[in-house]
Amino acid sequence: MTMQITPVSADYVEMRFGPRWTYISCVRKFVASFFMIGLADKERAEQVSMAASELLENAVKYASEEEGYLKITIAKGQSEVDVCVKNKAEPHHINTLRRELALIHAGQPEQVYLRKMEEAAMTEGQSRLGLIRIIYEANARLRLEVNDGEVSIHAIFPLEQM
Amino acid sequence: MNSSSQIAPLYAEGLNIVPSIDDGVMRIKMSGTVEMRDPGDLLTPYWNKIDEKALERSLRRVEVDLRDLSFMNSSGILTLVRWITKVKTHTAPKSYQLVLQYDRNVTWQRTSIPTLAKLAPAVVVSTEING
Repeated sequence: MTMQITPVSADYVEMRFGPRWTYISCVRKFVASFFMIGLADKERAEQVSMAASELLENAVKYASEEEGYLKITIAKGQSEVDVCVKNKAEPHHINTLRRELALIHAGQPEQVYLRKMEEAAMTEGQSRLGLIRIIYEANARLRLEVNDGEVSIHAIFPLEQM
Repeated sequence: MNSSSQIAPLYAEGLNIVPSIDDGVMRIKMSGTVEMRDPGDLLTPYWNKIDEKALERSLRRVEVDLRDLSFMNSSGILTLVRWITKVKTHTAPKSYQLVLQYDRNVTWQRTSIPTLAKLAPAVVVSTEING
């Protein structure tokens, strides 16, 4: 038997778990601790863990019920940290996510954040503030990939801004 | 006169909120985290109660000390947005100033709290308090 080992950077975490809300806090705290060591930067570690938490909250809310897991990978490269959350999602949720990303990329982060807060205050239901919060609070950029009903959303933190 | 018994503290799911009223000012101390799935179910009625009490007692200021709140998810932030939206609609003499006290060493507080104050700069103030 041969064992295949995929090379990963030293600062790399991958977790796969059932979409249960109660795990999110646990993952957030772990990610914060892990990257506090890996990045030696409390602020960046808190931003990365906040992004992980917000993306996981969305994934748990919108994950397809037929698929019993979601996956989070966080990798520190030479010039960026990439937080990626993957889950299966229904087509209408994927479309909502695409629209949401287009909207939040269409303006200055602070203006978009304020506008979305005002809109959210006037409507019932989910806040939909998580994605813009990641962009505004953490200076991250977001990227969406969809492949055969599987959604991957990346929050990318450039390290040169640190 | 301290009348903290007027509004009961809230202890739930890792979150503690302790209000007190003294000399025309209500002080609300928050600690722990807000990361439950639907914080609005818990917090919106509580903030409404605070708002009603502040108007009933003709308080001039409500101070919310967030410094010991280590994390708040975006749904929790939305509960503060809803409160601010309500405060904005009050008119003198039935109105009060909402002061959000934060610690700049806590990353989420330093970025989100001053932004919240921009929603209603005439009635909401964010104040940095360290230590």
